[in-house]
Amino acid sequence: MKTILDETRELASSTHNPYLEEARKQGKKIIGYFCSYMPEEIIHAAGFVPYRMRAVESKGTTRADAFYSSINCTFVKLCFNKALNGDFAFLDGVVFLNGCDHSRRMYDNWRFAKIGPPFLHMFFAPHMINEAALDYFSLECSKLKSSIEKHFHISINNESLRHSINLYNQKRRLLAQIYALRKMKDVPIKASELLGVMLAVTAVPVERAIDILSNVKNYITGRVVSKPQDLRLFFSGGCIEEMDHLELIENCGAVIVADNICLGSRHFLDEIKNDGNPLQAIADRYLSHLSCPRMMGDFERRFNYLLDVRDEYGIDGIIIEKLKFCDIWGGEIYLHRTESKKRGLPLLALERELYGGGIGQIKTRVQAFLEKLKNKQATDENLVQAAGADYKPKIQ
Amino acid sequence: MKNNPKPFQYLKWSSRFLNFGYYLTTFPNFSYWALRLTRPLYVQRETFFNHKFRYAFLILGGGILPPEEIKAYHYGAKAFVDNMKNALKANENGKPVVWVEWILSSEIVNAFDAFPFNPETLNVFGNLSGQDVPSLLIEEAESAGFASEYCSAIKLTAGAYMLGQTPKPAAIIAGSHPCDTNVAAYQGIRHLTGAPVFFFDSPYWRDKDAFDYYEKNMWRLIDFLEKTLHQKINWERLKQIVDHENKFNFYMQEICEMMRAIPSPATMITPVFAWVVRELAIGDPNGTEMARRMYEVVKDRFKKGVGVVKKENIRVLWWNPPIAFFAYVFKWMEDEFGAVVVKDFIGDVQMPQIDTSSEKTMIRDMAKNHLYLAMARQCHGPVEFITQELEKAIDEYSPDCLIFAGHAGCKHGWAVIGIIKDLLKKRGLPSLFMNMDIMDQRHATEDDIKRWITEFFRSNGFV
Repeated sequence: MKTILDETRELASSTHNPYLEEARKQGKKIIGYFCSYMPEEIIHAAGFVPYRMRAVESKGTTRADAFYSSINCTFVKLCFNKALNGDFAFLDGVVFLNGCDHSRRMYDNWRFAKIGPPFLHMFFAPHMINEAALDYFSLECSKLKSSIEKHFHISINNESLRHSINLYNQKRRLLAQIYALRKMKDVPIKASELLGVMLAVTAVPVERAIDILSNVKNYITGRVVSKPQDLRLFFSGGCIEEMDHLELIENCGAVIVADNICLGSRHFLDEIKNDGNPLQAIADRYLSHLSCPRMMGDFERRFNYLLDVRDEYGIDGIIIEKLKFCDIWGGEIYLHRTESKKRGLPLLALERELYGGGIGQIKTRVQAFLEKLKNKQATDENLVQAAGADYKPKIQ
Repeated sequence: MKNNPKPFQYLKWSSRFLNFGYYLTTFPNFSYWALRLTRPLYVQRETFFNHKFRYAFLILGGGILPPEEIKAYHYGAKAFVDNMKNALKANENGKPVVWVEWILSSEIVNAFDAFPFNPETLNVFGNLSGQDVPSLLIEEAESAGFASEYCSAIKLTAGAYMLGQTPKPAAIIAGSHPCDTNVAAYQGIRHLTGAPVFFFDSPYWRDKDAFDYYEKNMWRLIDFLEKTLHQKINWERLKQIVDHENKFNFYMQEICEMMRAIPSPATMITPVFAWVVRELAIGDPNGTEMARRMYEVVKDRFKKGVGVVKKENIRVLWWNPPIAFFAYVFKWMEDEFGAVVVKDFIGDVQMPQIDTSSEKTMIRDMAKNHLYLAMARQCHGPVEFITQELEKAIDEYSPDCLIFAGHAGCKHGWAVIGIIKDLLKKRGLPSLFMNMDIMDQRHATEDDIKRWITEFFRSNGFV
């Protein structure tokens, strides 16, 4: 019998899905967007469905290569290739964001290629968290709202924004509850499964996403997927959408229990306050939520988040990864490496291409890392006891 | 191997050699002949014997820069030397050094009792100690974990600091443009140096809201510096600096305008040299004097209808910054092929003047001005910031071809390469696209670049 996690995996494995079709029949527009700094509530308040863009089912980068170069990121090229192939033809609009250099150029290439849909909007998110940035970001939110209103001849009022905020907060709460279940010794859901859930709930109307999440929560309560000897990992990175990739890591003898990824904690942490000016509240939350390394000067907060969940979730090690040619995560890896070394936190840094293969190499590196962690555990706990108080572990 | 240079070795050498250049160019005719007569010793390629002076001789024109222009360079050299000496002596003088990242501008730091230092300076001047020096500094940063895909300009900053080649900053000013390397790498540099960093956040658009946002950044910077340096900004000094800057920009903009003429009365190396002066020492009277003299020389040629080369065969648009380790490439093209770079990405000045009537107007206009600085102007927003400038250059500068110096770190530039190629194809402009790194010759060497350009000119029938 098909479980809710089978359903989310199916939804995660395809670009289009029946829920979008259903929404379309109800007259709702579907608006694609990139990046966790894009406020879905504004699109939803227009009566539309925000749809997180994804590279899944992409058949390569051949056509996108004519626009981009060999030193551009695979996520962006795979998505754009899909656009050129008409795989996003079901969208009524796309909102782009200056998340990184590669993705901001999608706005340019998309317009230049004239592939539609007619509503293409560039949404600017500051790189700083301060008062001036917040004012500017509020203005950008307001411009996005006006742009949607003008293009689609509709009106978005504060009441509909508040309603959307409530729904999205509800979704965030459910996700937080599901994530919190991974604090337990017996973990009820694997990160690979959870990534499927995240991909699913960002590709369907939020009302349906809430149903899915409630079902997932019920389904996994009391479920155990981890083994007692599994190491508990923190996972950090940018665009991750391959469930197989996380499965590969977890199959090496680990379970990922916490993260800072686009389709992870960054998506649901920090609710929007639903009093006062709703647009201002939206801007507040989206600018100041758990940050991506594109936000300058906020590393301490990101690393402190890791330290906090380390204790809370019983983390044994950290895996941080980046896609090739990603400066932003390249920088974060340097910071994580130096800081982790200082604090004696075991860390593995991976670099790969999205849907780029190299499974054997990744597996070997993960296995070696986990083996080292296990040896360290053995040294720290058992050998120290056997050798007495004077023993100094060799592996640091 | 130059793995363990002495502290400040490269900066000290640069300062000494530029100082020598400054005195040498006091006698422009003598310098011209000295450079001309010794030319066979250094012009072809770097060797064991010439590596300590070749780059300097080449940036002084390699014996083909006329004496009147050498005189202008004399003032530029003085501005460089003063900046470097100040940075080297900052500790002795008890003055704070403030790093100002290369695409930003240092007027506001200059209005404090502090030394602005461009930490990317050795990308250019490191070559004075040999073309391989910048690569060594870059390698140092890479081996410490700085991402290899970063723009090499900032990798070098990190490597130079790790090897004790740059002064310790009391504060750092960095920004979110022109690319992600700045966003990411300066977070690493903050970690590395432990210095407080002020991050400029550049907007995406170029409208009133965007300028207002950038202006708020400027006010925040003043606040940051006042708190960090425990000083108050000297508005009178800032006004003097900006007055000089306005003059400097006027002269350079006029030069760029005059280069539309056929034959071109100047080559882009002149504004590019001025850009480096601007980077290090905007507001310095020597920099302004250099710009004035350059302007006089070019204006004189323009009035007489004389070109910078005897026979102008090819008019070139150069896109992307010039090649730091082979800055002589513009003069080399002139000398070999009569090819004159009439417009480029970095040297071209299109800056609005700054109203100095009040503190408010100064900061407001400076914010706008900074978003028109080279690289900020083209890189912080949509592709139209690039294509419109290119189209205008094609319409107004009568180019025969375009050379795209495809810098490896410039991923957002490469991300619109299809659009740029298409535009050039539509305009029928023959184009050369080079895969290289403008600061790191490990990607492509001077010889590679010479070969590519030669083949390009030949295959298109220009020579």
